[in-house]
Amino acid sequence: MREGACKLLAACSQREQALEATKSLLVCNSRILSYMGELQRRKEAQVLGKTGQRPSESSSPADRSPCRGRVCISDLRIPLMWKDTEYFKNKGDLHRWAVFLLLQLGEDIQDTETILVDRTLTDISFQNSILFTEAGPDFELRLELYGAYMEEEGALAAAPKRLATKLSSSLGRSSGKRVRASLENAGGSGTSPILLPTPTMGGPRYHLLAHTTLTLAAVQDGFRTHDLTLVSHEENPAWLPLYGSVCCRLVAQPLCLTQPTASGSLRVQQARELQDWAQVYGVLKGTNLFCYRHHEDADSGEEPLFTIEINKETRVRAGELDQAAGRPFTLSISNQYGEDKVTHTLQTESRGALQNWMEALWQLFFDMSQWKQCCDEIMRIETPAPRKPPQALAKQGSLYHEMAIEPLDDIAAVTDILAQREGVRLETPPPWLAMFTDQPAALPNPCSPTVAPALARTQPLPWGRPRTFSLDAVPPDHSPGASCLVAPLPPQRSPRSRGFCNKGPPHTWLQSPV
Amino acid sequence: MSYIPGQPVTAVVQRVEIHKLRQGENLILGFSIGGGIDQDPSQNPFSEDKTDKGIYVTRISEGGPAEIAGLQIGDKIMQVNGWDMTMVTHDQARKRLTKRSEEVVRLLVTRQSLQKAVQQSMLS
Repeated sequence: MREGACKLLAACSQREQALEATKSLLVCNSRILSYMGELQRRKEAQVLGKTGQRPSESSSPADRSPCRGRVCISDLRIPLMWKDTEYFKNKGDLHRWAVFLLLQLGEDIQDTETILVDRTLTDISFQNSILFTEAGPDFELRLELYGAYMEEEGALAAAPKRLATKLSSSLGRSSGKRVRASLENAGGSGTSPILLPTPTMGGPRYHLLAHTTLTLAAVQDGFRTHDLTLVSHEENPAWLPLYGSVCCRLVAQPLCLTQPTASGSLRVQQARELQDWAQVYGVLKGTNLFCYRHHEDADSGEEPLFTIEINKETRVRAGELDQAAGRPFTLSISNQYGEDKVTHTLQTESRGALQNWMEALWQLFFDMSQWKQCCDEIMRIETPAPRKPPQALAKQGSLYHEMAIEPLDDIAAVTDILAQREGVRLETPPPWLAMFTDQPAALPNPCSPTVAPALARTQPLPWGRPRTFSLDAVPPDHSPGASCLVAPLPPQRSPRSRGFCNKGPPHTWLQSPV
Repeated sequence: MSYIPGQPVTAVVQRVEIHKLRQGENLILGFSIGGGIDQDPSQNPFSEDKTDKGIYVTRISEGGPAEIAGLQIGDKIMQVNGWDMTMVTHDQARKRLTKRSEEVVRLLVTRQSLQKAVQQSMLS
C-alpha cells in the first residue's frame, strides 16, 4: 500500500489530491511501524515461552485477564485562538492549512478526514467517529494532530491568461512579485499557456502540531475537554494557533455488558418457600442474570420471568446453604436494596455447572473492577457509517466567483444569482427592491445598511464567513444608469453587522422549528 | 437560573439523546426553539429570569423524536453535542441542532422542576 501511495503522489497534479495522498502515506508508515513493533513483541513472547518461562500455565485467579471492549471517540473538536485582528478584520492574505487527526490504540491506527482550516474557523471539527474494537481497560488512546500549510498558488492557476497578467500587475508589491515569479517559472515571459506549478518533491509536508493520550479515566457518556500538548512553535510553517484543548465524547462498551457470558438451566428457590423450586433458563449478561422460562425464550426476545441484578455490591456464595438438607451445587446471590437484603438461591445441575457459573461471576466481578465507570450503564455507540471516499475538497464558494467582472446593468440579475444559491427562499422579491424600482436614478448615499433596521429578516447566509460584506463590496457608481451592487448584500446580514449599524435592543423573540 | 457574566454557570442538567427522524430530505427533531443573544428575553414565557437570553424549548411535536427522548416544553438547552448554547444567537442555535451530518444530538437541558427537586432533596 505504501508503494501505491508513493506512485499516486508522484502522479498528483491537483493540490487536494496531493494532500490526501501524503496523508495516506503518513498513516501507512505509522501502521507499518506499529505492526512491526507488535510482531517483534510477539516473537519475543514466543521465545520466552519456549525457554520454559511460562507465566500463564498455572491459571491462578491472580492471572485473570479482563474482558475486551469497544472504545469509540466521536465529535472531536479543537478550538483555535486567532488574534482578534486576524479574525474580525480579516486582514492580510488568507493562510490555509490542511489538518487531520491520527488516533492510535494498541497497534490499531486510524485517521480522520482532512479538514481545511483558515482564520474564519473558530474550531476544527471532525465529523467522523472512530471505533476501536479490541481495547482492554488499560488502554491508551494516543491522539496526534498533523497539519500542512497550503501555499496560495492555486487561485491564479485556473484563471485565463489575460486576466492573470492584468491581476498580477495590479496586485500589491510583495504578492505581485510572488505571482509574477510563479507565472514566469511556469510560462516563461507569458508566451506559453500558464501551467500549474509542479508540486514540491514528495508532496506537501505534514508536521505534528499537538498530541495527547486518553485513558479509561477520560471515558464518560458525555462531552469532556482534555488538554493538548502543543508541539510545534511559530517558526514552523504549519503552526496553528491552538487553544490547547480538545473536546470529545469518549465512550467504552466492555464486552461483558453486551455479550452473554454464561448460560444454562437452573432451579431457583421461589420467595421464602424452601420446597418450591422453579426451573428456569438463566443467561448472565452484563449486570443482570436473566431467568427465562424456556431455553428458546432467551433468543426469541421474550421477556424473562425475572431478573437478578448483579453489580459491584452483590455478594455471591457457593453452596453452603441447604447443604444439610441435601441440596448440592447451590449458589446464592444477595443484593442490598436500602434496608432489605434480598437473596436468591440457585441450584445448578452438576458440580461442573456450578463451577462454570462461579467462574463466570468471578470474571464479571473482575471486569467490573477493571472497567469501573463503564459498567454502570451501557454507553451508546453509533456504528460509524462506512467512510465515503474523500469528496473533492471544494473551495468555499463566494458570490464573486459567479459574477462576471463587467458591471451588471440589471439588479435583477444579481437577485437571480442570489435566488439560485438560496433556492426557494427568495421567491418574492425582497421588500427593499421596491426602493430601487421607484427611484432608479436618484439613489441616496450608499449607506444602504440604514435599510436594515426596517427589516426583521433573519435569513441565513448562503455562505458562512464572518465578514462585513458592506466593507468588501464594490462601491456604487454614481453615474446615471449604473446600478448599485452593494445593496443586495448588507440587508441579508443585519443580525451580524458587528456594530456597524447599531439597531438598539432587539424587539423580537423568534421561534424556529428544528 | 440567573447568571453573572464572566462567572461560571452551575446547573442541574438532564441528558437527552434525540435521534432525528427523516422526513423526505430533512432530518427533523420535532420541537421548536426560542431565544438567543440577539433576541428580546423579556418576551420569553418560560424563563424564570427575564434577562436570560438562553435557548428554550417552546413547542414539542406530538410523538416526535424530541418527545420520545424526554424533552419537555420550557426546557433550557445548555449544550448540544458538546457545543455551548447559553451564549449563541438564535440562528447559531438552530444551525447547531440541524446539522445534516448528525443523526443523533445529545443535549444537556435544565428545567425548573429539576432544580427544585434537587434543592428539596438536599434540604430533607
